[in-house]
Amino acid sequence: MILTFTLAGIVLIGVLGFVGRRKPVADLAEWTVGGRRFGALTMWFLQAGEVFTTFTFLGMAGLAFSGGVAAMYALPYVPIAYVVLFFLAKRLWTLGKERGYLTQGDFLEDRYSSRALGTLSAVLGVVFVLPYLQLQITGLGLIVRLVTGDSASGTLSMITGSVLVVAFVLWAGLRGVAATSYFKDGIMLVALVVLIVAVPTHFAGGIPAVFHKIEQLHPEKLIVHSGANDHVWFVTSMLVSAIGVGLMTLPHSWPALMSARDPKVLRRNYAWMPVYELCLLLPMIVGFAAILVVPKGSDPNGVLLTLSKDALPGWVTGIIVVAATATAMVPAAGILIGISSLVARNIVRVRSGRKQFWINHGTVVLASTLALVLGIFRPDLLANLLLLTYSGSVQLAPANLLGFLRRVPVGKGPVFAGLIAGELVVVWLTFVDTHLVGTVNVGLVGLAVNVVVLGLAVVVERFVVTASAKEAA
Amino acid sequence: MRSYHWPPLLPVLALVLMPFLPFVNTTGLWLGLPRMMVWGGFWCLMFTPALLLSERLMRGREEER
Repeated sequence: MILTFTLAGIVLIGVLGFVGRRKPVADLAEWTVGGRRFGALTMWFLQAGEVFTTFTFLGMAGLAFSGGVAAMYALPYVPIAYVVLFFLAKRLWTLGKERGYLTQGDFLEDRYSSRALGTLSAVLGVVFVLPYLQLQITGLGLIVRLVTGDSASGTLSMITGSVLVVAFVLWAGLRGVAATSYFKDGIMLVALVVLIVAVPTHFAGGIPAVFHKIEQLHPEKLIVHSGANDHVWFVTSMLVSAIGVGLMTLPHSWPALMSARDPKVLRRNYAWMPVYELCLLLPMIVGFAAILVVPKGSDPNGVLLTLSKDALPGWVTGIIVVAATATAMVPAAGILIGISSLVARNIVRVRSGRKQFWINHGTVVLASTLALVLGIFRPDLLANLLLLTYSGSVQLAPANLLGFLRRVPVGKGPVFAGLIAGELVVVWLTFVDTHLVGTVNVGLVGLAVNVVVLGLAVVVERFVVTASAKEAA
Repeated sequence: MRSYHWPPLLPVLALVLMPFLPFVNTTGLWLGLPRMMVWGGFWCLMFTPALLLSERLMRGREEER
């Protein structure tokens, strides 16, 4: 019954995506940013769509189950990033509207007058975000597999979900993501409220009882302490994530921001979204309840569904599963738009608008097929790259930040040098010397090297310019 | 930094320093919840009034011009 319910939910999300647009479009700007006409409500759900993913649903509960209050690092980084975006929104939106940006690559290419920088940033964006797309698709399969206990059902859901996402994204573009976002957030809130009432009551007699038992039996879960998730890990992970989101280094965040009707809409949402962010606490509480009942060493990502299956009747678990699949499918659609527009605008460069549009659509099919096939047959292949999604993307932060200024104070050379140095450090610390910096987030170390190299390159650049000016005189 | 940048600084600091505050990062509960959770939730909520104040200050500055 749960499988039927889930497949019906997946189909419903697909149908809602199609309803997002009535007529097909052949214009990439209209498809990618919805004609820059979205009002406050649509923008609210689009912005929330980027934040509330499978990680929110399954990951937060899993993080609380395995690390206790260390999971709290994930609560403040988005509101901190919104503070940065609140002040940047007008500048960013105005630049995008005046200069016709659709992607991060467009922005960097224009601000630094460098096609090469636009292309490099786009390639990095695709490489770092493709594993994130796969994560959503495999997350979908995991959800169904956990609930039905049948891996074939998981694969079937992954295929059905991916095909429907591709279909509605091709048809409706960002409007499809917006239409499905309403449904996703609605059902997600219902599911979280049901879980937060039912799970603690069923297993401990209520939320305060859960924490009183934790205090008695596992007091270490109530504090951030030494170990893998210590104070340094907590603060540096929070800062890297806040910088990455606040300075728009994740490529799929660009189309959503560019689609706003005006910057006031963005600012108003950034002011109020931190209240909505508190929803993250709900799966965390479920994760704490799991500490009391789920055996240590169980798969952390599965605890929320395991508890809901034990505490709720089958049809209610079905609703929870549909909500969880929505948190995988809708962000996957947004990520696909981010990837395809980067490829069509900044990597494969064609002059004809029509060809660009078809390259974009071809990329949607190709990227999702790649993520699906790897998700089914080699789920571990892209898993390592996922480690680079945040720490690698955040290396674009200095370039973006300097590009937001009215007059860009540095040339493309120093930005290239800093970016390449930062990425090399991140790759080295992630895959080669994994213990060199202890629990410091490697993205932050890369960023420090990036900024120092950028600064040194600026000094060298100015020295060379002054010397050649003297020679010319 | 302009005057309208100041209001959200306090919540940012309160959240970044959260694990280093001995009265927050400790066992014991507030309102039946872990102290970190209550502290984090409260200061996240404080972003909204802080940013609304920033907006007001920005508008005042634009009108002055």
